[in-house]
Amino acid sequence: QLEEHLNLLSQMLKTETSFRLFAPAAPELPIVERRNWLIHQHYIRKDYETCKVIIKTQLQETNGMCEYAIYVQALILRLEGRIQESLELLQSCAILNPSSTDNLKQVARSLFLLGKHKAAIEVYHEAARLCDKDWEISHNLGVCFFFIKDFKNAEEHLNTALQINKHDKTFMMLGKVHLVAGETDKAIEVFKRAVEFSPENTDHLSTLGLLYLQLRKYQKAFEHLGNALTFDPNNYKAILAAGSMMQTHGDFDVAMNKYRVAACAVPESPPLWNNIGMCFFGKKKYVAAISCLKRANYLSPFDWKVLYNLGLVHLTMQQYASAFHFLSAAISLNPRMGELYMLLAVALTNLEDVENSTRAYEQAVNLDESNPLVNLNFAIFLYNHGDKTAALDQYQEMQRKVNILQDSSSNLEFDPELMDMAQKLGAALQVGESLQWTKPGKDSKSKPHSATLAKSPSAPLGTNQALGQAMSSAASYNKNIQLPAGTVASRLGMTPASPPTLPAPHNQQCDGSPSRAWEKKKEAEE
Amino acid sequence: MTSVESGGDGGKWLDAHYDPVAGLYTFSSCVDLADLSGDGENRLVVGDLGTGSSGMKLKVYRGTALMSENTLLDLPAGLVAFFMDLHEPRIPTTAVASGPCIYLYKNLRPYFKFTLPSLEVNTLEQDVWQQAREGQIDPLTLKEMLESIRKKADVPLSVRSLRFLSLETDGLDEFVQLHKQQPIRRQTVITCIDTLKKSTADEDGVSCLVVGTESSDVFILDSKAFIILSKMSLPAPPTMMDVTGQFDVEFRITVACRNGNIYILRRESDKPKYCVELPSHPVGLVRVGKNVLVGCTDESLQGFTQKGKKLWKIVLPAPITTMAPMDLPTRGFQGVLVGLANCEVHLYRDKNLLSTIKTPDVVTSICFGRYGREDGTLIMTTKGGGLMVKILKRTVVFDDRDSAPGPPLAQSIRLNVPKKTKLYVDQTLRERESGVAMHRAFQMDLSRVRLAAAKAYVKALESSLTPMSASLSEPLKMNAVVQGLGPSFKLTLHVQNTAACRPVMNLAISFLYDENLYRIRDPYMRIPLLVPGLIYPVGTFVDCTNDKGITDIIKVFVLHEGRSSPLLTAHINMPVSEGLALS
Repeated sequence: QLEEHLNLLSQMLKTETSFRLFAPAAPELPIVERRNWLIHQHYIRKDYETCKVIIKTQLQETNGMCEYAIYVQALILRLEGRIQESLELLQSCAILNPSSTDNLKQVARSLFLLGKHKAAIEVYHEAARLCDKDWEISHNLGVCFFFIKDFKNAEEHLNTALQINKHDKTFMMLGKVHLVAGETDKAIEVFKRAVEFSPENTDHLSTLGLLYLQLRKYQKAFEHLGNALTFDPNNYKAILAAGSMMQTHGDFDVAMNKYRVAACAVPESPPLWNNIGMCFFGKKKYVAAISCLKRANYLSPFDWKVLYNLGLVHLTMQQYASAFHFLSAAISLNPRMGELYMLLAVALTNLEDVENSTRAYEQAVNLDESNPLVNLNFAIFLYNHGDKTAALDQYQEMQRKVNILQDSSSNLEFDPELMDMAQKLGAALQVGESLQWTKPGKDSKSKPHSATLAKSPSAPLGTNQALGQAMSSAASYNKNIQLPAGTVASRLGMTPASPPTLPAPHNQQCDGSPSRAWEKKKEAEE
Repeated sequence: MTSVESGGDGGKWLDAHYDPVAGLYTFSSCVDLADLSGDGENRLVVGDLGTGSSGMKLKVYRGTALMSENTLLDLPAGLVAFFMDLHEPRIPTTAVASGPCIYLYKNLRPYFKFTLPSLEVNTLEQDVWQQAREGQIDPLTLKEMLESIRKKADVPLSVRSLRFLSLETDGLDEFVQLHKQQPIRRQTVITCIDTLKKSTADEDGVSCLVVGTESSDVFILDSKAFIILSKMSLPAPPTMMDVTGQFDVEFRITVACRNGNIYILRRESDKPKYCVELPSHPVGLVRVGKNVLVGCTDESLQGFTQKGKKLWKIVLPAPITTMAPMDLPTRGFQGVLVGLANCEVHLYRDKNLLSTIKTPDVVTSICFGRYGREDGTLIMTTKGGGLMVKILKRTVVFDDRDSAPGPPLAQSIRLNVPKKTKLYVDQTLRERESGVAMHRAFQMDLSRVRLAAAKAYVKALESSLTPMSASLSEPLKMNAVVQGLGPSFKLTLHVQNTAACRPVMNLAISFLYDENLYRIRDPYMRIPLLVPGLIYPVGTFVDCTNDKGITDIIKVFVLHEGRSSPLLTAHINMPVSEGLALS
């Protein structure tokens, strides 16, 4: 063993001497770039601490002349959030090597991160002069123009980027530009190309699916969402959209299965709990529905859709006082929706507040343009309170809406409950069979109508079933505009959510709370 | 070697050896397995980076023991074992790339050193130094001239000029004296190294060396005569390479570069043939069969064809630290091992995960191949410097699971729906019974609250009790701070003009207080002109004259000259005086 050890030692000594023979005798200066590869290896492995140590030695050895070391140091500083310092280092890099596009690109990127989009654009242009046909420069220029809301230029640069080289990122950005500019058709085209280019990108697939959903092309939407879920069964966006489509078709159990996956991934999503709640509602598990909806409301208190659904469920549960609060909160967030006022009116009718109920119905009828249900409920309300002429007016208005709907689409099916109720009311008002439903034969059995109407003050006409219909429309409506929902909520987040005493907006305004009046005054001053 | 059954990886591997304090700092590019003595037993050769600045060593392991160590002069960027000649017995040579040189070791002894040719030197720079040597220009002029060359030149300056430029004025002369006699040289640095078979595809055929350099070039070196057979240039410095084919027939070099792109070089051209632009930097590059697998910093593994067409992409659970191919020719198995930052090593065949190995530390380098006499050996080094050897069980079958594993696990987890209490149900029933009464009571109370609030508000407005002035001409804001323990307090009032641009003039402050309790030094103060936006502190002292510990409210009024009603009123609750007033 000793011998072996000695051998080893002599070997080592030999190694040393033999290499020393190769080495030149003159005082050799270390090569500036000699550790660049090592810095890079640590940088891409995200081992920033070691990286910084090596950079420090390297800069000491070269008196700060190693451009790449400074460059990586700047990038690390930027990752640590010290953007301003990083920018200064990059500028010193640019002094060491003024012709480097990489430096310019990173300077521009830092400026971009600091929110100086115009300055970033200038630097990117400068970089583009040094090296044209760079995908990254065109892409980032597009992003910068997007942020300063110059959509035309953004589109142009992103398209150039796509011509140079196709990247998922660029497709996504271009689609976004089109969406923000309101050009849904163009956005769909972009995403179609993106899906063609990378057919497994779930972001593209789900976004395209959602866009089709917005345009009510359900077949295509479902196809793309399904594809997205095949490649990534945990894709939250696709799960929610596909689930809401299943819900619209009444497949509550399948939808719930999907939601379970999403609930694991994103347990604090308001739209998810809203949809789960409406699933329970569809399965007639009302207490669970209320629990889930209340959670959704807790997570996003300014989302009027959740409040709408809560109001609906409470109406079904005959908790009219609670329903009133949820509905009036929903109205103060979204005062332009006829159905909301209608539901409020139903709640008020049950709370025996005839005066305000009438006002709410009037407001609902004023705002609503296409839903015959609003007029039917109003007509029934008027009839129950003995105002036959007004009821007749509303009945005719309902007939007009039904005719318009029938003209616009041939295979439209009305809720059987709605048809039944309308027929009974028609008979009670002695208007006869003038209204033609799509399936008239079924509902023609005549019943002692006036009796049904008269005996149901506690559960007036049109409440439960009509509400059921309203619910399903709400659920689907809810999901159709899934994406903008978040922005709506955040915008509304600033307004005080004090529920008004009375539903009708004119009441609300003249009897403003002190804080409101104060605010108005302040605005006037400014 | 002792074999221990290991858990956590499906029992596919035997733990052969683990030395957590082997003290190895290395990358996958610096690890190789070769039969260095020609006795049919493979050794492990590791280029150890030491501390990163000193103590670099070439280490050779046999079995579980360190067999030999050779000191290296510079950081090893890469290491390959290859056959450089046809001599018998067939003993491979180890080539270590470090700095601008390749050091060759044969039989574990230094054998030859090859230095890459120098780069072109800027002629202007050369001229300037020539002048300096002849004493025609002084060091300061030299510095200026070099500076101007650096700004314009296409060819970068040499190390000497760069160092000269970074010197302070007093060191310039000495530096020139020391260095002016030497010829100017510009050297590059090797960043990666690999081998390429010369003319046969045999396992022990003669190979060429393929070297990537900091100057963005790729050289192919003949290993017999050490001449450059071919030089190719890239748009950026290469970081990793994969070489396949034979030099004399057809070859393909896939190079990952520092600009985040991958270039594919072919025999016929000295420029890249194809280019793949990646969305993030590549960390690992491995060829499996005809496809190239790239691990990126965005925690993804992507597959490309030989021509750079993207095939697939999968997302990994953690950042990649290193990648290595896993070839078992005897079983026809080809896969890729991916080391992850979450202390796992994943084995993929295409995009299918076949097996996961849990490791005690983050793996920094992986090497799979024949070690000793065992064909399927996996050698890994860890971040803490450990060395780990695992042996693939001979009975292991890797079943190719489908990439679509059915419904995700989460689907079977019950939804966490909040439960409702009995109390809730009771309340619900009560609401159903007497909803109308509840509603009416609520509305009544709400109206009362509003009335009360409105009354209080009107009162506040009428008596200017608010800390904000509502008047259009003098929009003011004030807050008050009381400092001190007593009996003397400092009272500071911060007054701000909130108008957009109009200044406010002719204001004054006065106080209303119980004179038995307090004494205020300046009971009446004039306020200077208030520029919009600025906060003006107005201060005075309050003395508490009472020693009973009684406190009272001091009212502050902001007044406008010539008007009787105050613009603002503030009520200050004075704190208890904790000291006695000196009479």
